[in-house]
Amino acid sequence: MNAQEHQGHHIASAQMLWTVGIGLFILTILTVTISSLGLPSPLDILAALTIAACKAYLVAAYFMGLKWDNKFNTILILGALAFFILMVSITLLDTMYRIEVVPSF
Amino acid sequence: MANHSASQPAHVHHHFVDSEQQFDTAKLGMWVFLVNEILFFGGLFCAYIIFRAWYPELYTQAALQLDKTMGGINTIVLIFSSMTVAFAIRCAQLNNIKWLRWNLMFTILLACVFLVIKYFEYEHKLHLGIAPGSYWNPTPEILEVLDHPKANIFFSIYYIMTGIHGLHVVVGIGLMIWLYIRAGKGHFSSEYYTPVEITGLYWHLVDLIWIFLFPLLYLIE
Repeated sequence: MNAQEHQGHHIASAQMLWTVGIGLFILTILTVTISSLGLPSPLDILAALTIAACKAYLVAAYFMGLKWDNKFNTILILGALAFFILMVSITLLDTMYRIEVVPSF
Repeated sequence: MANHSASQPAHVHHHFVDSEQQFDTAKLGMWVFLVNEILFFGGLFCAYIIFRAWYPELYTQAALQLDKTMGGINTIVLIFSSMTVAFAIRCAQLNNIKWLRWNLMFTILLACVFLVIKYFEYEHKLHLGIAPGSYWNPTPEILEVLDHPKANIFFSIYYIMTGIHGLHVVVGIGLMIWLYIRAGKGHFSSEYYTPVEITGLYWHLVDLIWIFLFPLLYLIE
């Protein structure tokens, strides 16, 4: 971190905020359009999640300012993501390999 | 100690070295809370994934009952409310309190639009008997297109995930009103705008959650 950055907080330019906002808007239109194409099964979920991940990146990096922020905050959010994936994986290792689904569920 | 306090701006608490350290600490605290929120919603997403893996055909059938147009409009509403919050922070940093308040007001209005649309969605579904869990009591027309023994489970997931998200929107509106009033009293400036910044982070997270909820619930063909 250089002296100049240390002195003041990063101020996002109005142009940048508008660009990101419109980018998110276009990606929303795109994901709706792709969903109505009727892509085969794994492809449609992959496309939807890829676009959602791009949008999440735009929000986290530019609106939440992680791009200019203390890197420790980025580590925190990536850590949360890692633990989420761990939780889902371990749970699926159980639920996907049951001989019979618990009837009441 | 007295000298130290005297040399600092009024908003700096005595246990912080300076304003910058206080700001970073508040922000770190907010990020830790957001990690909590991600894992909290993570549990719900986990339930979503398990049931989708068990009953993939249920999701494709049941999602047809959700209104893509209303969901899409709500996505766009939230995106632009995130943008207005980002602008509110920018205005605070530039000491433009008048536009800080206007941007907070735009955000509150957009959040209200989101809730109104959500209300119409819920109202329409409940009218057709599309309710969660044991309250599942659909009309014959719905049963014709959605005859699945586990249909109520999809809507339990739908109502709980969107409901808790909606609750976060309500809390967000409360926080924005609080900021709006404080900004009016002249509490914020380019020197001190920590509450605006960390409420902004919270609001962006609410937007982030919806960015995943929308395609995963509404956009299944």
